Amino acid sequence: MNPYVVLAWKNIRRFRTRSALTIFAVACSVGVLFSILSFHLGFEKNLEKEIEKTGLDFMVVSKGCSFEVASLVLYGAVLPKYLDDGLLVKVREPEGVEFATPILVGQAPNLKSGRVDVVYGMDMADIATAKPEWVIEGTAPKHFNEVLMGYLLAEQYKLKVGDEVNYFQEGSNFRVTGVLKRLNSQEDSAMFMPIHALQKILGKPGAMTSIGVKARHFMMIESIRDDLTLKIPGVQIITMGQVRENISGVVASSRALTLTIAIVVAMVSVIGVVNSMLISVFASKREIGVMRAIGASRQDIFLWTLYESVVILGLGGITGILLGIAGSGLAESMVRKIIPYVPMGDTIHSEPRLALSIFLSSLLIGVLSGLYPAWKSSRVRPIEVINC
Amino acid sequence: MLNKCPVVRLEGVDKVYRRGAEEIHALKNINLTFSAGDYVSIIGPSGSGKTTLLNIIGCLDKASRGKVEVGGLDTTSLREKELVRIRREKIGFVFQQFYLLPGLTVRENIALPLTFSKRPVDEQRMEEILKLVGLQGRAGHKPNQLSGGEMQRTAIARAIVNNPCVILADEPTGNLDVNSRERIYELLHDLNGKGLTIVLVTHDLNAAERTQTTFAMTDGMLHPVDDVADYFCRMKAV
Repeated sequence: MNPYVVLAWKNIRRFRTRSALTIFAVACSVGVLFSILSFHLGFEKNLEKEIEKTGLDFMVVSKGCSFEVASLVLYGAVLPKYLDDGLLVKVREPEGVEFATPILVGQAPNLKSGRVDVVYGMDMADIATAKPEWVIEGTAPKHFNEVLMGYLLAEQYKLKVGDEVNYFQEGSNFRVTGVLKRLNSQEDSAMFMPIHALQKILGKPGAMTSIGVKARHFMMIESIRDDLTLKIPGVQIITMGQVRENISGVVASSRALTLTIAIVVAMVSVIGVVNSMLISVFASKREIGVMRAIGASRQDIFLWTLYESVVILGLGGITGILLGIAGSGLAESMVRKIIPYVPMGDTIHSEPRLALSIFLSSLLIGVLSGLYPAWKSSRVRPIEVINC
Repeated sequence: MLNKCPVVRLEGVDKVYRRGAEEIHALKNINLTFSAGDYVSIIGPSGSGKTTLLNIIGCLDKASRGKVEVGGLDTTSLREKELVRIRREKIGFVFQQFYLLPGLTVRENIALPLTFSKRPVDEQRMEEILKLVGLQGRAGHKPNQLSGGEMQRTAIARAIVNNPCVILADEPTGNLDVNSRERIYELLHDLNGKGLTIVLVTHDLNAAERTQTTFAMTDGMLHPVDDVADYFCRMKAV
């Protein structure tokens, strides 16, 4: 092993408390940075997956805020404006439309639990094409008083196929015809019923929140969209790419904020390392003087101090990454409480490539933060510190 | 075993320190020559310039005037890089307070100059040195596990590991008990017997009496001492 690394390591062990505190400070900031970057990486991947799981290429909705549409797509927001089901025929007209399915989103109060769940009214005949990834234990609901439960919702209410569940008002019971297998999306926490049934329950006959459209080929999406925009005034057509951009835009601002905080934390720890290294240089002044006297050049002393800084940052980097991995569950639950929309699934992706780049960055920061203390140590004059 | 090196030679060496407008003449017109195999002691009261002289011979400080040669090289006009090389290859330092690196073992402390010379540790030579200084069984110990005498013997081993031509020892027994002192004197004597030049700064009559030549330093001036015991007696009286 490089003798300077050995010397640096011996010096680190000599000042155990100082070194441990410095390494811990570095580890904390590296851990925070690693968690934040892992979260954003995971967020984008899961968002992509979640959008893919909608099985749609674009949504037709009433004119309004594009963020509302994103909310509708991703977690079933209830929009104040409705479309008339007469539009469905027009939307199905353009060449290239594989299918267009009506969607009505509502809120279903569960009187027993006191919770309000999201309910989707859908044309159950379209499920096979619109939701190809759905695996249903049981069958899709066909009648007025039948529902299909999302995986988590069924688990929460301990419902099985054939059970009854009470929604909307006293005595209004629905038979569970099926339970969805876990999808790791917001649909796990929702309930589904035939759209005509939901329209009746909500007192909105012929109303739709949106029309989900799938094109035969992704190359046709733009032309269908242009066609529909011309033919149907007063509606908004949002592609899934736009939904992704809208969500990413919201998250980007939080990412900028959290990254700024992480960078400030990292800078504070770098200052801590510089300070700690300067203290080390000061405390080792006599040893440095002796080493110079017995033949160490300024470069030798410079390298020795620099390696010490790199070893500290390297150890702090590894510890921080391990802390980040170990604490990812905690970080995820905290993030889910803070950020309004987080895709389902493991949002923190601790990728080896990210871990490696953070580790290499911490080594680089080790070099940079060690430069001044190393220069300072190399200027120690032996006769000033030893009584030769 | 050790190199037969050229002498240390000083010609008309002055050292002047400036403290504001005041000039302090630490060394005044020093002329001396130490040949290979010499065992020289320098005695004198504190503040007389002994340490300054050792610093200049050891290339840790520069003379204000005059010429300094170590191992046949004129060090007066050399740059820092070359002075480092001379310190590394031609000079061995032994300090009163040992100055071992606390995190390193005896063996690692001894090998330190080799690290700076980018030379590998010759295990056979290391064993020879450990045997010479009587620390074979202590090679893996850290300085805080050693006695004062053992620490000083480690420091002496570190000073000779690079085969220097001169050992500069600044009161090497100043912090030791009588028995340990005796052992250090014997060791220095043995090393001198192998041809190594030793320059010893001391306040100890016993140590000075064992050297071949003794110089006294008074107010920056160096003069030979014929009767060491008499000199110490007069110093005590003063």
